[in-house]
Amino acid sequence: MHTFTETWQRSFPTATSGSHLFAEFEERARAAAAEVFRCATLTEAREALLRLVEGAGVTKAVVVESPLQLAAGVTEALRARGVEVYTAPAEIAEHAPTADIGISGVEFGVAETGSVFQEGYAIATRLVTILPPLHVVFLPSANIVPDVPQAFEIIAKNFDRGYLGFITGPSRTGDIERVLTIGVHGPGRFAIIACDEAPQGGTR
Amino acid sequence: MKAEKRKLRKEISEKLKDKTLRGALGRFAEVYPEARAAAYANAGDVETLREAVKQMKIATVGQIEAVADRFEAAATKRGVQVFRAEDGESAKAYLLKLCKETGVERIVKSKSMASEEIHLNPYLEAAGITVTETDLGEWIVALAHERPSHMVIPAIHMNRHQVAEHFSKELKKEIPPDIAVMVQVARKELREKFLQADMGISGANFLIAENGAVGLVTNEGNARMVTTLPRIQVAIVGYEKLIPTIKDAATILKVLPRNATCQLMTSYTTMVSGPTPAMVKRDGKWVEEQKEMHVILLDNGRLRAAKDERFREIFQCVRCASCLNVCPVYTLIGGHVYGHIYAGGIGAILTAFLHGMEEFAQFHELCIGCRRCTTICPGKIDIPGLIEELRVRKVKDKGLPFLLKQTFENVIANRKLFHSLLRLAARGQKPFQEGKLIRHLPLFFAGLAKDRSLPAIAEEPLRDRVAKVKRKIANPDKRVAFFGGCTMDFVFPETGESVFKVLQDLNIEVLYPEGQSCCGKPVLAMGDEETMKRIARENIKALEEANPDAIVSACPTCTESLQHYRELLKDDPEWGPKAAAMAKKVREFCSLVAEEYEKHGRLKKKAGGLRVTYHDSCHMKRVLGIDKEPRQLLEAAGCELVEMKDADKCCGMSGIFGVKYAELSMPILSQKIANIEETGAEIAACACSGCMVQIQGGLDKKLPGVKMKHVADILAEKIGEKKIA
Repeated sequence: MHTFTETWQRSFPTATSGSHLFAEFEERARAAAAEVFRCATLTEAREALLRLVEGAGVTKAVVVESPLQLAAGVTEALRARGVEVYTAPAEIAEHAPTADIGISGVEFGVAETGSVFQEGYAIATRLVTILPPLHVVFLPSANIVPDVPQAFEIIAKNFDRGYLGFITGPSRTGDIERVLTIGVHGPGRFAIIACDEAPQGGTR
Repeated sequence: MKAEKRKLRKEISEKLKDKTLRGALGRFAEVYPEARAAAYANAGDVETLREAVKQMKIATVGQIEAVADRFEAAATKRGVQVFRAEDGESAKAYLLKLCKETGVERIVKSKSMASEEIHLNPYLEAAGITVTETDLGEWIVALAHERPSHMVIPAIHMNRHQVAEHFSKELKKEIPPDIAVMVQVARKELREKFLQADMGISGANFLIAENGAVGLVTNEGNARMVTTLPRIQVAIVGYEKLIPTIKDAATILKVLPRNATCQLMTSYTTMVSGPTPAMVKRDGKWVEEQKEMHVILLDNGRLRAAKDERFREIFQCVRCASCLNVCPVYTLIGGHVYGHIYAGGIGAILTAFLHGMEEFAQFHELCIGCRRCTTICPGKIDIPGLIEELRVRKVKDKGLPFLLKQTFENVIANRKLFHSLLRLAARGQKPFQEGKLIRHLPLFFAGLAKDRSLPAIAEEPLRDRVAKVKRKIANPDKRVAFFGGCTMDFVFPETGESVFKVLQDLNIEVLYPEGQSCCGKPVLAMGDEETMKRIARENIKALEEANPDAIVSACPTCTESLQHYRELLKDDPEWGPKAAAMAKKVREFCSLVAEEYEKHGRLKKKAGGLRVTYHDSCHMKRVLGIDKEPRQLLEAAGCELVEMKDADKCCGMSGIFGVKYAELSMPILSQKIANIEETGAEIAACACSGCMVQIQGGLDKKLPGVKMKHVADILAEKIGEKKIA
């Protein structure tokens, strides 16, 4: 019944999209206070995450695996560093409120807005993206669509049911004196690790 | 529903004295237009985007019941329970029953205007259920026991110190007035509520009929929590949020974040179709369970509006609140004065439908019809036009206050009496008059002339000067009838003379039909369509008798009124065709003269003249669409044109408003005067007699070195110089 993740790539507008839009995507994402790390290889992507983890003093992580993360061996590398890592839904439910970091994969980015698109039907995905103070996503850097209407070309063909969303930078508010303040209910830090190398030679 | 009689004047004066509010709104009004423009920089043509929203929404409202049926079928098929609530009571009863059946004790809410509209929280709390607003701004106003004063920034009227006080009181410990600290305090407090809640209630920014999805556009992440954590998910949504297809969401997402918060996209834009899994603790173990999901579609007056030819337009609203951000009145006094939930011009209209005309009647005058909101509304709603229509309906239904009715029917609609009274006034004002201005008024009228001198009624109206200024032209290129309008006729007759001079200099014969009277705008502005029709017929008769090639007015409001006669009298078999024929001949002075100057090769920029700044009258620019021509004429007259900031922002006059609500009109005027001063211009020019009254009065009190002139006066002076040379 739930097929978005299985089918969406067939609708990816390859003619108009691709890594040539990455620079624009990166600029917009940074403007929305996202941190962006572009990596040529899976190894670099793993290293980028480990540096983030080190810098933030992470001891506990909740993780939902994406093909890119699996190929980069992210979870094992975290455990090897002594970080507590939880990947099963029941563990995530228990530990997400106190974890230092949530890690997940996203389907594609939108150059116009610097947003990433994530299919989030699984409860585990939504918990890791919203509860910890730092959220890191893995994105194949070729998966950038030019704009919101193009994103909806994909969505319209594949969204029968489920929980889909765009994430654009960290959680924010301007509700007190219109002063932009980061990290209200969701993560105060949002990082995108974009990788040029695809898992198993394909584009995801 | 019987509306509670409010003391609007008192409420306004309190808001005007609130320095925190004034400061916050003033700063916001200052930065908003540029921030919005910057957000659109990479979005393509804004007008195309707005038109797309409008057309999509028009197509939807035309078949709203069918779209709602499709939504219901699609959502039901995916396991959502859809309840169509006729009104607030049925929505609340449904929810309470649901809470009881499912053992709900704690509810977390993300923003839902519809739930505020039906006063949901107190109802549920009275039944012993704990309800927590989790949007930071909503939480703050809930702690303060206040109402939101802005649809997107609910607590914009408070500063950090006030927020800290409310936090300290709620949490029973000292919270410092540090914004970052307070946001973390809110995060911690509300995080517990999210994790403990049994039910999450959200609103929606759109509902997709194609697949029954609920769309949420938020920044804080609370809507993601509300739709993710609790085992029961409810969305309370008005019918206007329905859109037919998934792709239609893109049309809204192109404009909503840009207009609402000047963002390209909000932090979290989420679409939920069908129930999703949640983690629930059973016997100390986390287990995955499918959620229960409900959508309450709220009517509460909306479907009646959908069937109304004019008012179905409110379905074009995407609740971005940008109309508030540019409203000269809202940005002075904030949202509380507007009544229930929805503030500003759009709020006045929604209130009329959702809470009734009595409520609307108390504050509709706060729309000054400047039409600034119409230039940025993503759904292109004619907010001032709809308010005017509501006034007409109100008067048809309830009539006018007796004194006003007497004045309109017996005085303004009776030209001879009206004009003799004006002549009488010219004598009565003598004790207060200094030159052509009234600088002080006695007793309770004093406020009217406090920050603004009032123009004196001229000793000799334009109609008595015609014989002096009218030249016989042997072979005129054109014969035009000049429609002076009350203000030019009785307050600025010299400007009327200038109009004669400029047109005659173009070899145009100018007639001044004696039978012309007030254009009727002040009467229509109060909703008295019947008296307006009487006035229209008289003016048509007078102007028709002159049989001119064109009818010229040097006041945009009069021009608009004369053109509006066509619409006003369209169902009148005798006068309808006459009004239509006349409307074609009506021309605004500057646009006609610019056209003629162009023909004669005179519309060329010349140098060496005075520094002049030009004020765009609201109706000149936004109704008639004329803003280039007056500038071209000023430059052709040799003026050095210096643009002022917000040249097209209202001067605060707006007919009767400027007098009746002098306390609101004056701060708007002060800003205009400050903007004029900043340019260093010697002359402030405009092309509207109403604005001249206001700006001249403000300049006289605050910037006496700068003179107010109509474009016609500047052109006439130039012709004078030429003749002398």
